[in-house]
Amino acid sequence: MSSITVDGLTKRFGETVALDDVSFEIPEGEFVIVLGVSGSGKSTLLRCMNGLETPTEGEIRIGDTPVTEPRPNIAMIFQQHNIIEQMNAYSNALTGSLNRNTFVDSLLQRQSEGDKLQALDALDTVGLLDEAQQNAQQMSGGQQQRVGIARALVQDPTVLLADEPVASLDPGSSQQVMGYLRTAAAERGLTAAISLHQVNLARKFGERFIGLRNGQKVFDGYRDEFDMDVIDQVYGDIDTEGMFAPDGEANDGSVDDAGSKRAVDSGGMGQ
Amino acid sequence: MSHDDTVRDRYKAIVLARRVRALVFGVGLVVLAVLFYYALISVGFFEANIPTYLPNFLNALRDFFPFLAPTFPFIDPTGVVAYWTFITEQNLIWGGFGGDTPLLGEAGITLAMGFAGTVMGFPLALLFGVLGSGRVTPFPFNFIFRGLMSSIRAIPALVWGLIYIPIATDTVGNLGRLFTDELEEIEDGPIEAMETTGANKPQLITFGMLSQVTTPFIAWTLYIFEINVRIAVSLGIIGGGGLGQVLSVQQGLFRFTNMMATILVILVLIISVEIVSQRIRSALREGDEAQGLVALLLGFPQRMAEAALK
Repeated sequence: MSSITVDGLTKRFGETVALDDVSFEIPEGEFVIVLGVSGSGKSTLLRCMNGLETPTEGEIRIGDTPVTEPRPNIAMIFQQHNIIEQMNAYSNALTGSLNRNTFVDSLLQRQSEGDKLQALDALDTVGLLDEAQQNAQQMSGGQQQRVGIARALVQDPTVLLADEPVASLDPGSSQQVMGYLRTAAAERGLTAAISLHQVNLARKFGERFIGLRNGQKVFDGYRDEFDMDVIDQVYGDIDTEGMFAPDGEANDGSVDDAGSKRAVDSGGMGQ
Repeated sequence: MSHDDTVRDRYKAIVLARRVRALVFGVGLVVLAVLFYYALISVGFFEANIPTYLPNFLNALRDFFPFLAPTFPFIDPTGVVAYWTFITEQNLIWGGFGGDTPLLGEAGITLAMGFAGTVMGFPLALLFGVLGSGRVTPFPFNFIFRGLMSSIRAIPALVWGLIYIPIATDTVGNLGRLFTDELEEIEDGPIEAMETTGANKPQLITFGMLSQVTTPFIAWTLYIFEINVRIAVSLGIIGGGGLGQVLSVQQGLFRFTNMMATILVILVLIISVEIVSQRIRSALREGDEAQGLVALLLGFPQRMAEAALK
């Protein structure tokens, strides 16, 4: 069982309330997008969900087990990818298996052949098999983030969390990375929670959406309920013109400049 | 031209401020001069009576530089030969196979002292350097290791030479400190990422922290190696062997030509070590690790030639 239960979660940093009594449940295998402006509590929520932060009040459970510290079955993908730039893509992916290997074995790269093939498999999933031996610091931002995804997959997780995985990427790489995340979660039946601040990407890739504003949950619903009013609720009264990508665009992560221009020209809403 | 009173006032204030600054500077200069005078007095500089030693010193100078002649063309080639004779007789550069000073001669012994000291000191420097970091050992306890390294540094290598393996000990103090400082600069991100993979503490330190600093660690180790070769020369003078010892023996015999020949070999040795180390370090900085050490060394003559032709 790897459903996620967030139960009355409150997190305070001194006087600041980052999360205020947030509760929801994610059934196993669902792909959830957490939306909100910067400072709305998205990062804190995800960091609590994988145990990097301890909740002030409330509890998070994966299946029936409460989360108290980072553990291998909850994989995390970071905004700044946080891969080790001095190592190549393959070695980075292999660090996902650290918890299954002793210190000396992992230091000398003496993991089992199964672990090593799994690392290459994960790189294949994110389309980087040919770049496996390339040094991470010579890779583009999008490629580095994909190495981060590969590392997460090698952990053999049941839950996949991603904290603004595309915030520092260009639109093309963003779509690509989101596409790989979606595919990987679907192929392996992972329960996934991804935080985003781009509405168009969220609409394109999400099934279910959770909206945060000032640390409170202001929306929780599926695709059909996710409309203009909801966006106003989550983002406040901002100019949302051109925020929506047209529906029905190919989900393969390719960039469609003409498509997004169309969206802007026609007001971009409700197509 | 008439000016506003506010402008005049501001001008006066600036003039005053500059005068005050000049006065403070002048007083500072006088204090410095007085301190300098007292320093010279306390080291007995005025009792040394330099003029009486001058003729001796000039004689010694002639021995130091035997290739300088008093008459035209002011160069005496036999002087250079005298240097070379001593260098080859004493096996300073080349010890040959199976001799008393194998292969690299006395210079090799000095180099070996610096190298062995660096290799012996490295593991403890790494251990203390890592344990001295506040991220690895919680706050008050990391100062046990920092304090230990400070104490080692407080005693100069020459003094360690009178007690215990000097270069290795000195390396633990200095290199360890550089490691600790370098570890303060690393990013939190990769450490957190390793936490989320479920890594244990040693894995967290190795992959999350040390992997971020391998390049600077190698560069600092090479830098300490350069310094250690220099320390090896000084240790020779107090009896450690190698070029330093040759130097002190010849000085005792008042063979100034031989002394200068030894100094020249020291110069060549230190500069060679520095050039090689600098080249490796700059290659590491540029992230050329891929081309490897072998390629680096093989390419060295070519790069020197290219640089010379520029």
